[in-house]
Amino acid sequence: MSETRYKTLRDVPLQEYLAPGNPLCAGCGATPVLRMFLKALEGRAVFVNAAGCFTLLHVYPYTPFKSSWMYTAFASAPAGAQGIRDALDILIEKGKVPPEEDVKVVCFTGDGAAYDIGLQSTSGAIERGLDFYYLVYDNEAYSNTGFQKSGATPYAAATATTLPTKLQKEGHTGSKKDLFEIWRSHKPPYVATIAPSHIVDMLRKIEKASKYRGPKLFISFTPCPTGWYHDTSESIRISKLAVECGVWPLKEAIFGEVKHTYVPRVLKPVEEYLKTQGRYKHLFHPQRQEHIIKTIQENIYQYWRRVAETEKLDIIIPPA
Amino acid sequence: MLKIRFHGRGGQGVKTSSRILGRAAFLDGFIAQDSPIYGAERRGAPVVSFTRISKTPITERGFIFDPDIVIVMDETLLNDWLARPLEGVKKGGAVFVNAVSGFPPPAGHDDKVFITYDLTGMALEIIGKPIISSPAAAAAAKITGLISKSSILEATAEELAELDLKDELLEKNIQLAAEVYDVIPTPAINTQESEPITREVSPLEYEPVTHEEVIHLDISNLGNSALRRTGNWRIFKPIVDPQKCTGCLVCIIYCPDSCITLDENNKAVIDYDNCKGCMICLRECPLRAISSVREVRVYA
Ligand SMILES: Cc1ncc(C[n+]2csc(CCOP(=O)(O)OP(=O)(O)O)c2C)c(N)n1
Ligand code: SF4
Ligand code: SF4
Ligand code: SF4
Ligand SMILES: [Mg+2]
Repeated sequence: MSETRYKTLRDVPLQEYLAPGNPLCAGCGATPVLRMFLKALEGRAVFVNAAGCFTLLHVYPYTPFKSSWMYTAFASAPAGAQGIRDALDILIEKGKVPPEEDVKVVCFTGDGAAYDIGLQSTSGAIERGLDFYYLVYDNEAYSNTGFQKSGATPYAAATATTLPTKLQKEGHTGSKKDLFEIWRSHKPPYVATIAPSHIVDMLRKIEKASKYRGPKLFISFTPCPTGWYHDTSESIRISKLAVECGVWPLKEAIFGEVKHTYVPRVLKPVEEYLKTQGRYKHLFHPQRQEHIIKTIQENIYQYWRRVAETEKLDIIIPPA
Repeated sequence: MLKIRFHGRGGQGVKTSSRILGRAAFLDGFIAQDSPIYGAERRGAPVVSFTRISKTPITERGFIFDPDIVIVMDETLLNDWLARPLEGVKKGGAVFVNAVSGFPPPAGHDDKVFITYDLTGMALEIIGKPIISSPAAAAAAKITGLISKSSILEATAEELAELDLKDELLEKNIQLAAEVYDVIPTPAINTQESEPITREVSPLEYEPVTHEEVIHLDISNLGNSALRRTGNWRIFKPIVDPQKCTGCLVCIIYCPDSCITLDENNKAVIDYDNCKGCMICLRECPLRAISSVREVRVYA
């Protein structure tokens, strides 16, 4: 492991860059991630946001930021980031902004923007090698408009548009898009998944990514008490379970080379994770839907079997 | 027509409450209309919902500015300058407040009947959660004096079944509604059908703003969201036991709202002005140094 300033929770910077009093839900899983990002970048960042819950963060006349924030149309956060980056570069070149006052440009959007509506502008920005961070808070649906299914919604989750019915007992019949792989296929310098429960892992990744010029992409697992139907106090516990059950693998890819950064010794049964959220309630009530739970579990085992083989991981998975 | 306005916080069941009342009125043969509005804000933030009940067709739509009855589902809203639940309540109307204890009508409102009852306490006791959609609807039904107990219970069952509530929880909600219906009185409501509101519109006096003035406007008041005071969203309040706290930082790191810091003795201190009461800190503290108590603030 290369040198890192983050070894334990004791190393998390205490300086705050996000003021209290924002209008987002109590217990939102995205806020701790944004806080940590700001800490890791020492507040020296311009955020570019696309429509979503977090658009409400910064509504005149109140702001929780000491830094800047730009709001763009749904599909265009990376285009907005390009404009800011270019402007900063030109101002620095002309000597109008001293180089030491340069800031990082961070796209911060939901999964709806990242997986679906803004995908092409992201692809373009990665291709152009834009020097930016993209942080997506993946709450697995279009939350701000009432929790409709997005490309990030996982198999069998109930959303406002994938309610379980007599004919489609599982809720969402499709599966989650693999954004990590979509981004990775562009071979940017850095792609990672992070989770609000795994803070040291997250800070190390931001630190590592900062060494690279070019697109640096982060997908954050984001418990959403309002859309997932869980108690507000459970957000961090659910995030831990997602990692321990293997639902949310923590990994990074440097110039396309994948490495898992946290590997559970034994995967906990996925049921433990599913049972924490109302969006999976139909898998257990009124009757247990064994075959659906089994399908979810088997998909997870399959993923980890493949990874265990390619990365020679020390992980115990039941045989197929 | 009777106009009822519900004020609560996102997550308390405000919308469901107005729906249950609307459905019950319908079951009793009235024409009814209900609709919620949400602000741009989310769970915990003020939410309003409206129910209109009438014997004749309802042509009015949208906001209710002049309610006969107001149901305040969280007493802290009385102090909230954004929610202003008492605004526009008609003279002779009724105000129900979900509060731990009674209080005299606030200044300027002694021409209304005030009824208080601790719905949250009752909900916590019976269903174990601070969700009060069914008892608030039952309270409103009883206050109208128009709606029968059987209809409010039937409407509760139907609306909650649509939300796919488990049978056991549904039973408890009905029990809660029945108990509330029995204890809440029906006050005499003496409101007048309001006159259509006409306002004098004064001609706009416009003074052009100069370029200099605009660019010097101070809008860079950074990090000022702390002035919003999201602390009144709380239903439960986290309390740190300094004897047990070791200053391990866990709660500080996980608090979504940057509301915890360490004091000079290395103990966690909570910013109650803005803590939303999510209880992540309580859940995550490895030393179980944080406990929770119900937030009780009596409006005075
Ligand atoms: C082009 C366009 N279509 C639809 C909308 C309406 N809209 C605003 S926010 C939102 C949901 C965003 O979902 P996501 O990106 O996942 O963020 P979240 O709401 O989950 O935070 C939608 C559909 C919009 N603003 N612009
Ligand atoms: S709806 Fe979900 S993602 Fe949006 S603010 Fe609330 S908890 Fe956060
Ligand atoms: S998590 Fe518990 S012990 Fe640690 S600082 Fe917070 S209150 Fe103290
Ligand atoms: S309950 Fe605890 S974690 Fe939640 S906002 Fe308050 S201090 Fe922060
Ligand atoms: Mg989303």
